[in-house]
Amino acid sequence: MTTPSESGPADRGPVDPAVAPGLAARQAALVDALTAGSPMPEGIDPFKFEAARVALLRKRAGEVARQWPMLAAAFGDRWKHEFATWAATRPTQGSLRDGWDMARSLAARNALPAAAAVELAEREAAWHYNGTEPPRSRRTPALHSTAGATTLQLAGRVWVLRRP
Amino acid sequence: MADRLSPPVFPSYGVGIGWRPEIGGFVEGLPGLRFAEVVAESVHAHGELPPGLQILLDRGVTVVPHGVRLSLGGAEPVDPDRVEHFAAVAERLHAPLVSEHIAFVRAGGVEAGHLLPLPRTREAVDAVVANVRRVQGSLSVPIALEPIAALFDWPDEELTEAQFISEILEKSGALLLLDIANVYANARNRGTDPLDLLDNLPLDRVAYVHVAGGAEHQGLYHDTHTDEVPQPVLDLVTELCNRHRPPALMLERDGDYPPAATLAAELDAIAKASGYPAVT
Repeated sequence: MTTPSESGPADRGPVDPAVAPGLAARQAALVDALTAGSPMPEGIDPFKFEAARVALLRKRAGEVARQWPMLAAAFGDRWKHEFATWAATRPTQGSLRDGWDMARSLAARNALPAAAAVELAEREAAWHYNGTEPPRSRRTPALHSTAGATTLQLAGRVWVLRRP
Repeated sequence: MADRLSPPVFPSYGVGIGWRPEIGGFVEGLPGLRFAEVVAESVHAHGELPPGLQILLDRGVTVVPHGVRLSLGGAEPVDPDRVEHFAAVAERLHAPLVSEHIAFVRAGGVEAGHLLPLPRTREAVDAVVANVRRVQGSLSVPIALEPIAALFDWPDEELTEAQFISEILEKSGALLLLDIANVYANARNRGTDPLDLLDNLPLDRVAYVHVAGGAEHQGLYHDTHTDEVPQPVLDLVTELCNRHRPPALMLERDGDYPPAATLAAELDAIAKASGYPAVT
């Protein structure tokens, strides 16, 4: 997640002097407003901007549901709303990591639905994911328990030892 | 390439479709298909192609890579690794052209997760043109640029949409990928006349056309790609083809896939509206 204090000019990457700084600053402010909950840039129609923000969150929810079908299914009709609430101030890290981060945060407060526990536990056993970098396959055996599900990974194969 | 005086002439491909793994079987079974598009970021540059896509290529179907993550409209220079992948996929598919959007998808290191509109200013024209030139430097085929559907506009715009698009095409030498559903959506949401835009675009530069469905929510028309193509969009296809028929028009569907018969009917409707033969 990026907060304004973390995304100063030094983090904005190389900027072409021919087009800096106006456009770069305007674009960054717009993306922050859409994804991190910072104030909407002045002069944009608030109703249309809000429609775009909500549409973006719903699109992300659909993408995450494809990567995390059990997580989405566990919420049923409430999925898009649940995801949009969680993601409203979290810019996307890609749908695989977004779903992973959401599942972990639900598990941490004992709110991960049982139907989604095995999906998370299988991935935790198969992959190493530190929450900030893209997940990598584990090279060593791993035993993992989360939300009542226990999984074991040996040589790349994952067994479910216990279901919630 | 930027100095190209007249657009390259492509053969008439007729009606095509966006290839997606979920409808790969349906696409493979279209007897008359000669044109398809694939999301460039979903294709491995060097590894095996998805089986359905390879079958299309083996049959001689033209498959165009369509980039969605280059962020050509970003004030920041386009990422060289993304450009390299994009160019490698074009080679891999033996594509006669590639396409991307007039939009930005990230800023300040933060991903937006969607195509975002540019302010229609000269500064933005220059940013897009600079990035298109960077991409053209790695490509051996032409690039077509797609203006997006925007739910909102920026304040203080200096150019009309037609001027903005035309200037970018003129300065970069790029072709136009005209999304007729975006033309419809923008006109409807802005309260403008879509024919006015068609009358002011360089239609001889249209490499191909997207056709897609959408739906209205709370008074705004959303270009969803998950709903059926509405009749007014098909009517615009006819209006466009009456002015200058493009070499290819393709259906874009990105989810909530309907039964094969419904998809086939949508392709037939595009054929009828454009005057091209049915591919089903």
